[in-house]
Amino acid sequence: MEHKVISRENLGKWLDTITREYDLIAPTLDDDVVLFKEVKSAARVLLDYNNTVLPAKDHFFPQTETVFRFKASAGQLAIEPEPPLARPRVLFGVRPCDLKSITLLDHVFDGDFQDGQYLDKRARTVLVGLGCNSPQPTCFCGSFGIEPGSSPAADLFFTEMEGGYLVNIQSEKGKEALQKGWSFFADPDAGQVKEASERAANAKKALKLSVDPKGVKEELDHFFESPYWDEISPKCLTCGICTYICPTCHCFDINDTSGQAGERFRCWDSCMFTDFTRMAGGHNPRPTKKERVRQRFLHKLRYFPDRYKEYACVGCGRCLQKCPVHMDITQIISDVKGGKLQNAAK
Amino acid sequence: MQQSSALKKSPLIPEVATIEKITQETPDVKTFRVVFDDPSVMDGFTYRSGQCAMVSLPGVGEAMISITASPTRKGFLEFSVKKAGMLTGALHEAEEGQKIGVRGPYGNSFPIESMYGKDLVFIGGGIGLAPLRSLINNVLDNRDKFGAVEIIYGARSPQDLVFKEEILENWSKVKGVKVHVTVDKGDDDWKGPVGFVPAFAEQVNPSPAGSIAITCGPPIMIKFVLQTLAKLKFTPEQIITTLEMKMKCGVGKCGRCNIGEKYVCVDGPVFTLAQLGNMPNEF
Repeated sequence: MEHKVISRENLGKWLDTITREYDLIAPTLDDDVVLFKEVKSAARVLLDYNNTVLPAKDHFFPQTETVFRFKASAGQLAIEPEPPLARPRVLFGVRPCDLKSITLLDHVFDGDFQDGQYLDKRARTVLVGLGCNSPQPTCFCGSFGIEPGSSPAADLFFTEMEGGYLVNIQSEKGKEALQKGWSFFADPDAGQVKEASERAANAKKALKLSVDPKGVKEELDHFFESPYWDEISPKCLTCGICTYICPTCHCFDINDTSGQAGERFRCWDSCMFTDFTRMAGGHNPRPTKKERVRQRFLHKLRYFPDRYKEYACVGCGRCLQKCPVHMDITQIISDVKGGKLQNAAK
Repeated sequence: MQQSSALKKSPLIPEVATIEKITQETPDVKTFRVVFDDPSVMDGFTYRSGQCAMVSLPGVGEAMISITASPTRKGFLEFSVKKAGMLTGALHEAEEGQKIGVRGPYGNSFPIESMYGKDLVFIGGGIGLAPLRSLINNVLDNRDKFGAVEIIYGARSPQDLVFKEEILENWSKVKGVKVHVTVDKGDDDWKGPVGFVPAFAEQVNPSPAGSIAITCGPPIMIKFVLQTLAKLKFTPEQIITTLEMKMKCGVGKCGRCNIGEKYVCVDGPVFTLAQLGNMPNEF
């Protein structure tokens, strides 16, 4: 793999250079909240942060997105699809958990019935990863085979070192973006490459939380029905925060603005909400918290692997941090592995 | 992922179509005959009996509706719609000539090839006859490929029977086709049988030998029809039904119509009872 190094000072210069040709999206402070947002200048890029509150998925599968605009008038109907991105983008500073989650979303949006809007953003975005040097107590990416210090899903991968960063060039698309400011980068010496790999190894060792998901899907195949779901669901407030901050949740709603002219938009939806599955006639196949909580965990740990051969969890720990009643997916995995569903069924 | 120059069209964008004809079937069911404005879209819209399409009124919304027309009859689509929610309510207010959006076709379909040479038993209730009608007309247009056909149909009242003229004037006059119609509750003019569909089907007593039963109706009716068919010794492999779930995208992405790992919009809506037996009971 081709490596380069860049100083902290030059990183800012490279990012500023980038903005001439690309929209730059990076972690930044927005009302004291760390989020991926478009920034016009490298000065606004936050480099020392644990992780963003919302995952990077927002920039491929936005929280709200126009699908098309319509105009209806006497016997006429015009439909105008939303145009593609005006400029290519650089998404800087994505952690390995979020990078992995994007490849999971690819299964959904790049499968049958390819989603043009998602694929346009995906194809025209340079993914720049940033390794974690100090994972948080809620991080468990390692449990899903993700390294906190590297990711094959990025076009460029940055590892922080003394005074700067080591850069792995992982695709042509990435190299092209780097070459916009080629002079800011230098060739690393052997010591720097070694330092970066040691940092990555240390980050992996620093992961405190871990759980072994191996065999969980197969176990869950037998326990759609189990009193366990009755036991864990009452405390859930069905607030939906877990689904909004989850980098792999991809469920959405489609709605129209009312009137003769307007737009059809899609927006994130949540399997935690009653309306999610309630039909026009009133019938609801998932009428209570029990069915909805079960759906969320089975989707991640059984149905998604059934369809796409991978678990739909990347161990980012956002749901552990934000759930108001401490619903904990690592605890659920442990319970499944520990035979709790089986015991509850007896 | 490859860099693409041209934007692939979103699968969520409908084609513009015109409502050419509206038939009031019952007080709350209308049949809409729809033609795409672009003739090449109409020609390219090839579907199989049992498939559905997303019908939309921009400004109101979109809903998945089964295609009740038969693919053997080309040049138009038909949707029979019961007034139940926002979109269907607005559709019932529409007039002939109104422009709508249609995208699809979606879902699997009735396995018609596996029905060749077999006797067919259709059991429908209320608006549940709509998806069956596509297959019935498909079968009747290819009459020599199939054995005897029994059509068992019922509705709440004589006023709630859909496709009345077609059932009584067309289907019942085809050779080898028997039509049996019941209502839950008769009226002064009703001279036919009275009783719920499952019990009525038991009286009709179709033979399971060399047969396939296809049923659709309200969930409660389907539940009891399945019991009736089991009593009549139909095996789970011989029983086919078509399901309804709330759908938004229709293309296996929005995440709400799943039963276990199966998405009803792409893996269904047609399932054999044998398949349903292997799926979680959550529909």
